[in-house]
Formats: sequence, structure tokens, C-alpha cells
Amino acid sequence: MTVALARRLTLTVSGFGLLAVAAILTSPLIGSTHISLRRAFDRAIPFADNVDAQIFFIARLPRTLAGALVGSLLASAGVVFQGLLRNPLATPFTLGVSAGAALGAMLAITFSWSFAWAGVSAAAAASFLGSLAAVGIVYALARARHRGLSTNVLLLAGVTMNAFFSALILFVQYFADFAQTYRILRWLMGDLDISSYQPLLSALPLLIVSFVSFAWLARPLNLLSLGDESAETRGLNVVRAQRTAFVSASLATGAAVSVGGPVGFIGIVVPHLVRLIVGPDHRLVLPASALFGAAFLVGCDVLARTVMSPVELPVGVITALIGGPFFLWLLVRKR
Amino acid sequence: MAHWQGYELLQAVDVVAGYPGRPSVLHGVSIEVPTGGFVGILGPNGSGKTTLLRALAGVIRPARGHIRLDGQDLTPLSRQALARRMAVVAQETHLAFDYSVLEVVMMGRYPHLATFEIEGPEDFSIAREAMRATGTLQLQERQFATLSGGEKQRVIVAAALAQISGAADDGILLLDEPTVALDLAYQLELGELLRERQRRVPLTIAVSTHDLNFAANLCRTLVLLKDGHVLAAGSTGDVLTSEHIRELYDVEADVTRHAPTGRVIVIPVRRSPARSQS
Amino acid sequence: MRTCPGGDGGNGVKNEGTKLTKTYEEKLLRTIRRCGMLRCGRMVWSSFLFVRLRSLRFFVLISVLSVTSFAGTAGSQTVPSRPSRIISLIPAVTEMLFAIGAGPQVVAVSSFDRYPPEVTKLQRVGALLDPDVERILSLRPDLVAVYASQSDLRTQLERAKIPVYVYSHAGLADVFVTLQQVGERVGHARAAADLARSIQSRLDAIRRRVAGRARPRTLVVFDREALTLRGIYASGGVGFIHDMVGAAGGDNVFADVQQQSVQATTELILARRPDAILELRGDPITADMKSKEIEVWRGLASLPAVRNSRVFFLDDQKTVVPGPRVAEGVDLIAHTLHPDAFK
Repeated sequence: MTVALARRLTLTVSGFGLLAVAAILTSPLIGSTHISLRRAFDRAIPFADNVDAQIFFIARLPRTLAGALVGSLLASAGVVFQGLLRNPLATPFTLGVSAGAALGAMLAITFSWSFAWAGVSAAAAASFLGSLAAVGIVYALARARHRGLSTNVLLLAGVTMNAFFSALILFVQYFADFAQTYRILRWLMGDLDISSYQPLLSALPLLIVSFVSFAWLARPLNLLSLGDESAETRGLNVVRAQRTAFVSASLATGAAVSVGGPVGFIGIVVPHLVRLIVGPDHRLVLPASALFGAAFLVGCDVLARTVMSPVELPVGVITALIGGPFFLWLLVRKR
Repeated sequence: MAHWQGYELLQAVDVVAGYPGRPSVLHGVSIEVPTGGFVGILGPNGSGKTTLLRALAGVIRPARGHIRLDGQDLTPLSRQALARRMAVVAQETHLAFDYSVLEVVMMGRYPHLATFEIEGPEDFSIAREAMRATGTLQLQERQFATLSGGEKQRVIVAAALAQISGAADDGILLLDEPTVALDLAYQLELGELLRERQRRVPLTIAVSTHDLNFAANLCRTLVLLKDGHVLAAGSTGDVLTSEHIRELYDVEADVTRHAPTGRVIVIPVRRSPARSQS
Repeated sequence: MRTCPGGDGGNGVKNEGTKLTKTYEEKLLRTIRRCGMLRCGRMVWSSFLFVRLRSLRFFVLISVLSVTSFAGTAGSQTVPSRPSRIISLIPAVTEMLFAIGAGPQVVAVSSFDRYPPEVTKLQRVGALLDPDVERILSLRPDLVAVYASQSDLRTQLERAKIPVYVYSHAGLADVFVTLQQVGERVGHARAAADLARSIQSRLDAIRRRVAGRARPRTLVVFDREALTLRGIYASGGVGFIHDMVGAAGGDNVFADVQQQSVQATTELILARRPDAILELRGDPITADMKSKEIEVWRGLASLPAVRNSRVFFLDDQKTVVPGPRVAEGVDLIAHTLHPDAFK
């Protein structure tokens, strides 16, 4: 019976893992253009002439992997923020990370910053720096008021940062012309069409760091849900755990946003669904959310690509169309 | 396991402690919690009871003075090591997520687990034993949030007992205002539970409370705190007198014994006129 | 009651249909048109109504009605006078005004105007998204050229009784229509007609030059994120850019998409296999940046255009402004796509 947890962990990881793998394997097969898998993998045809292979390996596969990366990062960051703030309605964007990222991307697009580094475009790099700036300010504000990291102050600081950055965004938007405004709007809706593996490789170190931290945070998050003091008296270094949670989840969110833009609703829909299935123990919820988040976003991207083929909807529109009604249902159902 | 009678397991020595806004809630407080003892910390609101309890638990560090466990300062001990010896039962526990009772009790075993270790069969049997002792075994699959106040309290006590169980040395249980949220029946039950537990396993208990009767009947030693100073400390019979109660609460009270059960009862009569601070 | 029923100044090209009421005026107009005696009919009718109605608003109304009596794309002519204080918010219209000799009549232009060089001395009054109404009004114009979508601005100008010329984006053919309308509006109809003819003949000459040559499948990009292949916006099968590329001897890969702009995803681009990639920008960039921007396409090295080094970056305003220099723009594109046709 105590092996229950170990067994449940194995079951959960393999179940959701299968789902994620299935999604990643099928997604490159689906798209607005019909391709033949046999041709795509036919080594005899030179790559330059093999359109099916080009579409598979250049257009669809990086896009699928980006969806998996962004989805798993945002979903697990959502779990961590919810545990940190002790609030199931928290999202990776609650504390101002996405507002900072949006401001960074906006500045890059409006003022046509043109530099690219290690395959990372100006907008992506600027959005990551913007998210770091926002996170840094929120953290400094929260620390200033409290010895440790008061979650109340954190929440207030985050909400304030969101408002402040939104004001800055409006200001910058004034300088943007029509085309730039449209581009910014599309960036805000999320875009996984990365067409190369470079952004993924650039984001990989951040992903590894985040996931290692999340693995360590699983038990501490369980304890944190009892309250700061109760967690402390159960042997948790609360300040250190909160700091780790805050920094790692913010890094994860910043990395995800710089790859695919601020795709909404994943950080809250996926953790909720997962908790409904596996329960609240973070040692199950975290890996399950990462895997399910990957599958979920890959699935949403497939929908985005095919629903109005050949025109593509931004993936954030699909996640919002699913997430909004889900939220309503959450609020309305009896507990 | 030998009971080391008379040995001061946990002590506060001249502790000055407080919070960023109020740096000296405690002005040089010294108390002793003897091994196997049952200490009550009494005092009016704002006297520093909770602060003292927090200091004893190692949650806040004293600005001056020491907290000693087994004669050694608390400071170098890791939180986890401390948590294996000492558990705190808070006044109220609100969970952010829907953990089951079993999961809550099992969280008490976390201090015994290595970083990525999962609970083993031994942890589980300790938890079950603790739940049996608190009469909560039948609740194990229920969601914690759906329990009544008394049931929740008992579950938290079970978690605390599981937390300090299996320690080579005596475990310490600190309870902060345990009867506040409980109705009469549960108050009696909790008292019985604690007393029973102390008979069966080596356990040292310290309780901070308002409830004079509760303290009178369970605690063998009392510490009276007023304005961050120790007004009196010693065995319950010596300390719990009308004079002390008047000094502590500005209340005229009768301290008598209930003949049939032999229990000490404190009956508040009226407020006494406020006196100048001593 | 609104003075302009259709609200589009009679330049309803694609989607600004005018809702006419079946009035007596309209019936009269229909008869005149069928008679084919347009000019005569207009003057007769205008004077008839001038006698009958006095306020300027109704003149605008009349010009609207007379304008819409043309086959949907009529220009607008109010008074046979020459406005002397013209403000143009549209760079294409500004170029036209200067090209037909109405330059001295222009007092202010949009913030995006750069050609001809004379405009640098003129005042700026904002553009599509941010027209400076106060400044426009303070300059006391007697004609303001505005975009069809600038409905707020138009309302304000109408309230101030300032005549308005409404412009809307369309295809290459509409450049001529606009040119004619503008010419008539500012009293340079003859020059406009001449200019239109010369542009047309030049275009025809280019078409003849590239006729019979293999037309490369061309991806026409007019916007994307700098130094990366993200957020690529290409020309769809509608609009003057599409028309220009067609006239220059290229086949737009998105000719089948009935939109002015297409967000070209990687998959779409790979599937369409362009033989040539044409990046068109209005703002000039340094040669260094240009080569970097072309290099970026190596990310899709399997495209025929990239393999055969047929990726071109044109940063000349001629190619993106549907004004009098379209022929030069088409010429530039034709030279790019068919260099051997011009040896």
C-alpha cells in the first residue's frame, strides 16, 4: 500500500508520457499540405528536391517540438506558481512575467531592433530580458517588505507590475505604425512556427535547469500548501523553497514566452485537469502537467493549423477558446 | 527507552525575541520544558505566548539569548533535523489544495525522507499508528477540507505525532491554542489523547493556551507570561493561584477543586481594578 | 441626417457601397448616363441643383450622387475650381499631385511622405492612424485627401465644411482611376490624363519585354521580423503589389489567395516552392543589413529561390507606393526577375 505512491508515479508518468509521445509523433503528420510520410523518409531522394521531407523536418517537426517545449514549461510553471502563491487560480503570468516579456518584444518590434544571436531573434531575446526585468523588480519589491518572501506582497507586486508594464506597453504602442501594431498583436497570440531547431537549443539549458528545480520542489510545494509556518515546522527552509520556486518558474515562463510568445491558459487549464485526474500531490502533478502540457499545446497547434486551412490561426486563440469555457465550467461546477 | 526525568529537554535562556515591527515581544524569558513534561504557557493576549512558542520551535531566532535542545543551541541544527524531534500543532490549518487526510498525515514524515526519497512501508505504518492513536484512521481517504474542526485538529495532531515518531530521543510536541476551534467534546478528547499518548510513548508536550481549565488539568508545570516577562513558573499547584490570576489577567477568580473528579477548576468572578505595572 | 449617404465620397471601389435612395435626382442621373452626355449632363444638373439648393453640404451630396452614377469607381468633381490649399494624408496621392503639376497647391502632407523632395519643406499632419485634426483645420485647407477608413476624420472635416477626397487601396488598375479623379479634383485633369497614358504605355512596354519568358514563381514578402524568418507577411492574389509583380513577369505563389496579405508560414512557403523571393520595403536600409537579411533565407536552403540565389531585397519606395512611379517600380521588379530581358 505504501508502494501506492511509487506505483502511481510510474503509472502517471507512463500514461501522460505516452500521450505526449503520441502527440509529438502524430503532429508532424498533420498539416494544411498533404505530405507522404514514405516520401519524406525516402533517403534516395535528395533533400533539396524532397518537398515532403522539407515540410516534415523544417516546417512541422521544429514546430511540434516547440509546442512540446512551450507547453511543458508553461504547464509546470503554472503548477509551481499555484503552489507558491497557494492559489489554484495563479498562472505563470500572474506575477508580471508576460507583461515584461510583451514589453520587451514590443520594443524590439516597434523600434525595429535588428540583431540576432545564436539563432534567437531580437524579439525573442528582448522578451526574455523583459521577463527577467519584470521578475527582478517583483522579487526586489517582495523582499523589501519582508524578511523572507511574503506571498501576499509577491502577489501585490506582481499585479502592480502587470499594470505598470501594461501602461508602458500602451505608450510604446503609440509609436508603432500599423504593420508593427499588427505584428505585436500576432506575437501576443502566440506563434510556434520557428522553422529551425536553433531557438529550441537555445532554450534547452533553461528547460533543464527549470525541470531539475521543479523536481526538487515537488515535496516542498506540498508542504507550502499547509502555510508558511506549518511548512517551516515540518522541516522546510521556506524562504529557500519560495525563492527557488519563484526563480525557476519565472525562468521557465520567460524561456517559453521567448520561444512561442505568451500563450495563455495552458498554465491554468493543464494543472487543473491534471489535479482532477491524479490528485493534489505535487510529486505527481508536476511531471504529469509537464507531459500533459506538451501534449495539450501540440494538440492545440494541430487544431490551429488545420481548422481554417490553409490559413493558420494563432495557437493562443485555440488555447483561449478552450480555456475560457473550461474556466467557466470550473467556476460553475459544485465542489 | 529510558525516561530521563528532570532533565531539561528544551529550554529558553534569557530570550529576547520579536518581529521586524516589534523587536522585543519577549524581554529575557527563561523557561524549562522537562523531559516527559507537560508544560502550559499561559498569558493574556499580547503577552508573547505565540512568540515564545515560535522561538522554542526554532521558527524565529532570538535576538538575544538561546534556545537549547538537549542542552545544545538550536541554531546549528538543520530545519529537517529539528523537525524530526519537534512538531508544532498550529491553531488552524488551511490547505490550498484538496489533500486527503492520509496525505496530510504522511506529510509529517517528510522530515525523515531524503531529497528524492518516497515514503516507505515504515513511514506508512507510523502514520497509521498515529492516526489510530488519534482516532482518525477511518478518515484517511476523506478530503481534509471536508472535515469538522475537531477532526481536522486530530488529524494535524496525528501528523505531528507521525513527524516525531521513531526519534531515538524524546519527541516534543508544541501546541498553539489547541482548544480555540474545538467544541467541548473535542476539547475533552484532545486532552485525553495527549495524556494517553504521553503514557505510552516518550513524549514531551508544551501548550500555549488561554484555556485555564484545560491547562490546569493537563499541565504538570505552568509558565505565566505577562508583557513578555515570566510572571511565575513551576508546578501547576504552586503557580495557579488567585493572586497570580489577578496579576496576569486583572481578573478575580476562584481556584478550587472539583471533588468528584479531583480536577482543578478556575472560576472567573469579576474584573479587578487595573493596577500599575509591576 | 447625414450629408453623405454612403459616406465614402464616391470613391467606393471595393467595399464602400453607397446606399442610394430612389430619389428623383437619381433617376435623372440614370437617364443622363444612358444618354452618354455625361459632362454636359453633370453641368446641367449641377446648375439646376445649385439654383435649387444653397448650402455647400448639398454640393458635396451632389458630387457624391454624381460620382456614384459612374460605374462604381467614379471620381468626384465638385466645383470647377482649383483648390489652392490641399492636404494629402496619402503618399501615393501626394506623389500624384506633384506629378501632375499641383505641387504648388499642396500645403501639408502625411508624416510618411518622402517623395518628391519638395515635400520635405511642407508641414506634416500625421497619417492613417494618427491624423492631426487640429493642425489640419488650422491650415484652412480647401481639399483634404483621406483614407476611406478614416471615418472620424471625415466626419470632423465635413462638420467644418472642408471638401474631402476619399482614397482607398486597391489594385494596379485603380492607380489610373485615382490619378484621374485627383486630376479632375484639383483642376489638372489634362495633365493627369497625359500622365496616366504615359504610365500605361510604359507598363505595356515592360509587359512586352517580359512576354514569352518563363515566369518565376515569386514569393513577394513585404514584412517580416528583422533578421529572422518569423512573422512573414506576403502578398496575396489581390492588391497592387500582386498586380505589379504580375506585370513585371512574375507569378505570385499566393495568387490563389483572395487576400491582400498572407501570413506565410514555413509550411506554406515550402509547399509553394518559390523560384524567386522578392522582399519589398519602403524604407531604405544599409547594404550591410541588406546582405544580412538575404542571408537569413539560408534557413530555408531547400527552396529553389535560395538554392539558385534568387533572393532579392528591394528597399525602394517606388515598389510599395501605388502612385505615379508604379511603372518605375514595375520596371525595377522586372529588371530583378528578368535581368536578361533588358540586355
